[in-house]
Amino acid sequence: MDAASLYKSLDQPDRADHLWRYTPWKRVHPSGDLDEIPIAASPKLTLTNLDDSSALVGISVEEGVVGAEVLPESDEVTASFIRAAAKESVYTLRVENNFVSNSPIMLDIDTGDSNCALHLTLDIGRNCEFELITQISGAAPWTGFLRTGRIGDGSILNDVVIGHTDTGILLRVDSIAIGRDAQVKAGTVSSGSERTKADLRYKMGETGGHLNVLGSILSAKEMHLDHHIEIHHDAPETFSRLDWHSACGGNSRTVGTGMLRVAKGARGADAGQLFHNLLLSDKAEADSIPELEVSEHDVVGCGHGTANGPVDEDQMFYLESRGFDTEEAKDALIAAFLNSTLVEMGSEALHSWLAEHLQEELEDLNS
Amino acid sequence: MASDKPVLEISNLHAGIDDTPILRGINLEIPAGEIHAIMGRNGSGKTTTANIIMGHPDFDVTDGTVELDGGDLLEMEPWERAREGVFLSFQYPQAVPGLQVGNFLRKTVAAIRGEDVAKGAEFRKTLKDAMTELDIDRSFLGRYVNDGFSGGEKKRFEILQLMLLQPKLAILDETDSGLDIDGIRTVAKGINAAVRGTDSGALIITHYSRILEHVQPDKVHVLIKGRIVKSGGPELALELEERGYEWLETEAENSA
Repeated sequence: MDAASLYKSLDQPDRADHLWRYTPWKRVHPSGDLDEIPIAASPKLTLTNLDDSSALVGISVEEGVVGAEVLPESDEVTASFIRAAAKESVYTLRVENNFVSNSPIMLDIDTGDSNCALHLTLDIGRNCEFELITQISGAAPWTGFLRTGRIGDGSILNDVVIGHTDTGILLRVDSIAIGRDAQVKAGTVSSGSERTKADLRYKMGETGGHLNVLGSILSAKEMHLDHHIEIHHDAPETFSRLDWHSACGGNSRTVGTGMLRVAKGARGADAGQLFHNLLLSDKAEADSIPELEVSEHDVVGCGHGTANGPVDEDQMFYLESRGFDTEEAKDALIAAFLNSTLVEMGSEALHSWLAEHLQEELEDLNS
Repeated sequence: MASDKPVLEISNLHAGIDDTPILRGINLEIPAGEIHAIMGRNGSGKTTTANIIMGHPDFDVTDGTVELDGGDLLEMEPWERAREGVFLSFQYPQAVPGLQVGNFLRKTVAAIRGEDVAKGAEFRKTLKDAMTELDIDRSFLGRYVNDGFSGGEKKRFEILQLMLLQPKLAILDETDSGLDIDGIRTVAKGINAAVRGTDSGALIITHYSRILEHVQPDKVHVLIKGRIVKSGGPELALELEERGYEWLETEAENSA
């Protein structure tokens, strides 16, 4: 069955579902008519080395190659919808075995200014070691971005996705398998779109996988940024941590829902998730719901937590006593709060690029 | 040119928190180039005095004036006071996870002393020299402000800021607590370097006379129940060390 037929055969999402509780499908569908699958344009993709202009060897983006399927753990509605909308926009990021890059690789996705969809497969070989920044920018009213694929055995990947569209809706789905002994940092930096619905799912289906999922989310004005993260520990000796920081100002709302599933047989699994929300105005709202389903008794640990609060007044006074005016102190504390997760996403080069990006975002929001 | 006005002049200061009076009429003058000490038991109002000079929003001033070089501090926001030259070395400095020390130092120096002072080779040299003097490792710059610092590291970091910011008035609130004797010597060196021979003034707040063995105060004031009940030379600190505070409390009660 093709993706469009699959989508049309499915029941509409139920708001009782964990995934759809805060952002109904209608709010992130391009037209609101749920039966309609729009014709979406293909974005412009550019793959470069962040630090130099040397030709990339061992890593490439191939057009029209349908790579990995969507994991059965993923939500069928969003995945099939984006696949159908991205029928003419299918790419694979192919990375050869043993590929190593000392400077971050940048994948720019320019959405253009009309509805845009992309299905990108990550086909990352064995024992690779590199950092990938995927930046989504542009003025599309609606962008659908589906990533499927697998991180090869023994690979070390820092994978950061930046949602940086000017306005509009971003619907993002990750459906990614982590290979044996692979070490992955999956970062999300989100600050641009008016409305984001992201459904990020990772399958730890092979022994020794190690995953850190990190979020630095900045919302302001009327933004609504909803991120759902699911981590499935199916194999023994797998490790995951989720650390999600959202700073929420203006009339905006952030939502972070987490699901940690440890299957029977995933002995020695070690998993934890933490959501932190910084509320910057009385009208801002932040919801975090971490959930656990643990079916294996022999685990190292499984925990979850959430913390919400306004800007700390003692920290404000400390910075003001050091000459930061009230706005500067507040901005420094927001940046520090988001930096706590940002700094964990990768190398110093990656971090300094991300920190600069974040600083620009803060300045934009204040202007 | 130095002003004729004292660096700090506090007159009849009454203040409190949530309608509870803490300071009951403090008068204090610190001329340029002088170091004064305020001593007193816990709860006598020492830290409140420091916080009010810096402008902590939790405290209400009900009467009196606080002037820096003749300018009315009570009308200013805390950051304006800092830019005018007030520096408070906190008893419990706040941790700011995510804010790197190097970045923070550049920003605070830029805010208080100007953008030009906070960049370039000269700033890097000043920073390096101050860190060497305070025995602070270079790796400090990559850490987060006061996050995971030991008690001694926090106090050295406060003094590092004092040395870089070169304030008109340095208030050091219990800077000796949490420091071993070597730490006190190092910190005392930093305080002396920042104040002696300059037009600045300093106010050292302490329980004990230990730090005063290394930073010779020009005057010592004893604070009891929100009032300065006795002022004297450095010998007063030694007398307090020997006799404690009880005799002064008795005197204060008898004269009330």
